[in-house]
Amino acid sequence: MGSVYKLTFRQLSGRWRLIITLLLTALPVVMGVTWRLIEGDRFPDADFQDIALNGMLSGAIIPLVALAIASAAFSNEIEDRTLANLTLSPIPRWKIVLPKLLGAMTVSGAFLVTSAFITSFIAFSGDMEAVMAITAGAAVAVALYSSLFLWAGLMTTRAIGYGLLYVFLWEGMFAGLVSGVRFLSIRHYSLTVMHRLDERIFTGGEHLSNGVVIGASVGVFVIFLALSIRRLRRMDVP
Amino acid sequence: MTNSDIQNASGASQEAVIKVENVSRWFGNVVSVSDVSFEIKPGITGLLGPNGAGKTTLLRMITGLADVSDGKVTVFGESVRNNSALYSRIGVMSEHETVYQFMKGRDFVKMMGELRGVKDLDNAVDKAINLVDLSDAAYRPMGTYSRGMRQRMRLAATLVHEPDILLLDEPLNGADPRQRVHFQNLLLSYASQGKTVVLSSHILEEVEQLADTVLLIVNGKLAASGDFHAIRAALDDRPYHVRVISDSPRDLASELVKLETVDAVNVDPEGAIVVLSRNVRDLQIELPRLAKSAGVRVRRVEPLDDSLESVFGYLVEG
Repeated sequence: MGSVYKLTFRQLSGRWRLIITLLLTALPVVMGVTWRLIEGDRFPDADFQDIALNGMLSGAIIPLVALAIASAAFSNEIEDRTLANLTLSPIPRWKIVLPKLLGAMTVSGAFLVTSAFITSFIAFSGDMEAVMAITAGAAVAVALYSSLFLWAGLMTTRAIGYGLLYVFLWEGMFAGLVSGVRFLSIRHYSLTVMHRLDERIFTGGEHLSNGVVIGASVGVFVIFLALSIRRLRRMDVP
Repeated sequence: MTNSDIQNASGASQEAVIKVENVSRWFGNVVSVSDVSFEIKPGITGLLGPNGAGKTTLLRMITGLADVSDGKVTVFGESVRNNSALYSRIGVMSEHETVYQFMKGRDFVKMMGELRGVKDLDNAVDKAINLVDLSDAAYRPMGTYSRGMRQRMRLAATLVHEPDILLLDEPLNGADPRQRVHFQNLLLSYASQGKTVVLSSHILEEVEQLADTVLLIVNGKLAASGDFHAIRAALDDRPYHVRVISDSPRDLASELVKLETVDAVNVDPEGAIVVLSRNVRDLQIELPRLAKSAGVRVRRVEPLDDSLESVFGYLVEG
């Protein structure tokens, strides 16, 4: 599995991809710094949490970066027809899919989790309860989105297009407007994790119960991982 | 050394290692391969057919990369589809030349060896790279390789685990004449160890130099199979148009028309002779002799209907 992981890590670490990811993930940090400069030691209010953390980080940057990186883990190999190098090896399919997923999570997680950590550290003046809550929530989101978009990259050559529709329509619009949709929203799982770990942030009654969030998060991760393995077994590899 | 010599000398088992039984593959309404059956034994087998005939689809089904729509493919008696363990005995080089541009050649071969569980990996990698004569470029990124070098490094990666079966799709694409000879010797040597090599090509002469056993695929069907020389003889006996450019076409034409195997001789508007021969080998031998005796200087000889499609068309109709 180490070979596939190293290969994936290298494939997803192209210069331009990293530069764009760095710029995107720097935005919440800039907002955190701005808040601190303007507000001094004041604990970030609901507006900051909604705009910088809920809106920008959880609602846009985490899913978009995860989409760009995880969907490319397989789709690039399908496009340039190098995937057969892996599938024609005497290793079970899960030993291809799992390191691909871990590779994608490593690349996107390195930026996103670091961004969440630094942003919250600056905005919450080093309050470690808040920092750890936001960092853990971001890590959960990275894992779940990566599993979902890795599968999308195997299913279609238009994973980016469908992924954008999913992020902006489902996660951004429907999950915000229709409360029932939150049971099927990765963003809300992530926000709930943040809230449960530090109940001062993302307060309100819209969050899900611990059991639902843990069960749904594990379920989403495992189901899309299993679907990717199944897809790789059944597809015609170009 | 020919393939039959190899098979006789090696005393290799003549059990079929690959069996394709009534295999079809269609994509929507398009039938790519239709009810094809054959067996492949150790030695070198050529999978020959024009572009778009279905060779690659067939090879992909044999390797398990693509599923069959109908029928059955077995390798060493086992279904290869989703049977990853079998890949420790199979080496596949697809027609696509794309490589990991960022990766050094040696790292690529090493990675493929790791994935295939090769023991004594470093030695195996060096041996495979030496076999394809690319030791000097082994530490360069593959993005800097020429097309021929990429093909050779891909072959090294295919050979690194010393598979019992080699499946090669158009492997000589991009190779220069020297590399071709090297490549051909390598495959002959490999087959001499009792291993199975399946070589797909749309170039008749390429297959002729390597394989005695040929599977001719035309329009997704098996048009002919068996001994290459019998098929080649059938090709040689078909009516054949050859264009000859000389400094005295009328003198040469009057000599050529005397040949028994020549059915017609015409002089085209550009002053070249167009000969219709029933035996192209005979024409190849007689043309220089006749030109010399007539004192005619031959500048150029070119076949007019030597496209593989016309050859296969003749075979299928015949």
